[in-house]
Amino acid sequence: MKLDEAFRNYREKIVDRWVEYTLSTYKSSAFFIKEKDKFANPVGGNTREALDALFGLLARNADPQEFVAPLEQIMRIRAIQEFAASVAVGPIHAVKHITREILSKDKERCHLVQDLYDFEFAVDLAVLAAFDLYMQCRERLYQVRIQEIKTGNFILTDSKCPTNLLKTNIQESLKTVENH
Amino acid sequence: MAVPKLEQLSKSVVQGPSLATGAIPTKDWMDIPAIFKPGNYAYQAKKEKVEYLNSQKDLQFPNAREWSPEDDDWKLPEDWKDIILKGLKERLDKFRSLKIFMDCCVRCGACADKCHFFLGTGDPKNMPVLRAELLRSIYRNDFTLGGKLLGKMAGAREMTVGVLKEWFMYSYQCTECRRCSVFCPYGIDTAEVTMMLRELLHLVGVGINWILEPASNSNRTGNHMGLQPHTFKDNVDFLADDVENLTGIKINHSFNRKGAEVLFITPSADVFAEPGLYTAMGYLLLFEHIGLDYTFSTYASEGGNFGLFTNNELMKKLNGKMYAEAKRLGVKYIIGGECGHMWRVIHQYMDTMNGPADFLEVPKSSITGTTFHNAASTKMVHISEFTADLIKNGKLKLDKSRNAHVKATFHDSCNPARAMGLMDEPRYILDHVVDNWVEMPENTIREQTFCCGSGTGLNTDEIMELRMRSGLPRANAVKHVIDKHDVNTLSCVCAIDRATLTSLMNYWNPGCKVCGVSELVGNALVMDGENRQELDEGLRTLV
Repeated sequence: MKLDEAFRNYREKIVDRWVEYTLSTYKSSAFFIKEKDKFANPVGGNTREALDALFGLLARNADPQEFVAPLEQIMRIRAIQEFAASVAVGPIHAVKHITREILSKDKERCHLVQDLYDFEFAVDLAVLAAFDLYMQCRERLYQVRIQEIKTGNFILTDSKCPTNLLKTNIQESLKTVENH
Repeated sequence: MAVPKLEQLSKSVVQGPSLATGAIPTKDWMDIPAIFKPGNYAYQAKKEKVEYLNSQKDLQFPNAREWSPEDDDWKLPEDWKDIILKGLKERLDKFRSLKIFMDCCVRCGACADKCHFFLGTGDPKNMPVLRAELLRSIYRNDFTLGGKLLGKMAGAREMTVGVLKEWFMYSYQCTECRRCSVFCPYGIDTAEVTMMLRELLHLVGVGINWILEPASNSNRTGNHMGLQPHTFKDNVDFLADDVENLTGIKINHSFNRKGAEVLFITPSADVFAEPGLYTAMGYLLLFEHIGLDYTFSTYASEGGNFGLFTNNELMKKLNGKMYAEAKRLGVKYIIGGECGHMWRVIHQYMDTMNGPADFLEVPKSSITGTTFHNAASTKMVHISEFTADLIKNGKLKLDKSRNAHVKATFHDSCNPARAMGLMDEPRYILDHVVDNWVEMPENTIREQTFCCGSGTGLNTDEIMELRMRSGLPRANAVKHVIDKHDVNTLSCVCAIDRATLTSLMNYWNPGCKVCGVSELVGNALVMDGENRQELDEGLRTLV
């Protein structure tokens, strides 16, 4: 039960550092970290909301199925940004190291570090789920692109003028006739 | 962050373009080059399109050639630098606004975090202040004493090919939505800085195909699609047939009819592509409902004006065509459909370029008697203004229950909202045609609305990821009302929005439909003599 208590006490501190670490992957991250309004700052706001929720689930050893909603909230954003796949997913790992670091600095609770195995295993599962979600988002993106092409938007630029096409066809048929 | 394993974690990941290393920039922004790779730029304009535009009267699109942004050599003219600097000088002399925008920015940063491109990418060069600085640094270097004397210390830098490439990268990561200018204490319109950057780039033959091809189509056949008159007519006829099948109402529309009271102009996407088609069906039903004396033109068959995204001359020419048609047909005034940038051109530039349109009459609705004094000079009324006036005067028979399948929210399209102040009319209409609609959070609507992320000709599929990033702030607000209020429809008054928001929703919020406000009007109209089928999804119902 003591670990539970430590998670409760340090939740804010751990999540803050986790969020900061995750957002530091952006070229210009100060605003993303500072602004708390989710609508003025969608990347920062969603990252904060999702990591906070995820930490709650990891700390209470929840069913990994429950990780999906908060992970999706983050991965949907990171999957379309300029990250290599490892950088997109990598920050999910970070909570392991941050938690260890923070607990080990607390003299009364540093012994709890050895009890972190279950928590860290849950993080591993979350990372694997994040990879799956990353791929799902990429695939959805390709689907969106295909759907857009199918709806005819591309005709704005990539179509041939039907009347001209007709002319070309006639010219070609005439040539064929002449050749025979 | 002094956690050893964490540092190792940061180092162990692939050294991608953004690194998990604490992100403190190690270089000055001027020293970070723009690098083009597949997916981060829109395709360059095709040679024949540039040649065609350049051959047209009053237009200049020089240096047509085969090239690629990914190549080191962009095949610029030998004297490209002189052309750019001369072009900048000309524009500084010609446009007082540009000169002021170059001089008066104090770099307070109020705009920095307001841009959807910055919010979606975290790239500092997408902060409007820095995007403008890309041009301002050159302006300082060559046109100010401080810059000439102090150089880099005064924020000046020399024009180089690298700078030109950076201009191309970032002037096409701006949708000219003008959200940033709402927050600027000096009223700097950063969109106009982007417009100038794009104009200057065209002087040396640097442009994108998704803009220049629709623009050349529009110049050639009157619309972006390149539809010829008979095809445009056929498409509208098909829509009228669809309306008749669904409602039993025969639509009495006409084309190029001289002496009609009103010329109706809408984006060609409305008569051509989903989901705009349903909006167009809404227009047809509305005009039939009130017996409006109107006509389409098969020549001015496009409301959109991609000239706005290229240069002043092309914008003027494409805008002029609408008025030339109005004159030729002898109509009294023009009603414009649900379009975005058409309205920006009409409200902000039309009068200077081609106006005032004194050969037309100040628009007066023959149905309600209302005079639209706001359009006294341009003689062009927005369909939402026109519809809202009809509702206010009790001229429409509406049944909200016909939109029972819709739980809507409303996206203020950037141009109608910020460039013409059209914010209450669409809301007033929604109040009367749907039972259920909710607002998105306050800092994402009205003047502060977030762009769809793909306007100004960036609605092209090769930059899909970039579009999803820049559309994130909008999609994020939509998600909020979906989660909270079960919204299933995103309504708007812009044809580009209808196309781009559809893709945006498909990625971020699958299942959320996108529609025009006039589609919802069409759904709700109770027509005399109708023989309406069971339309569970309004005009979208497949029967």
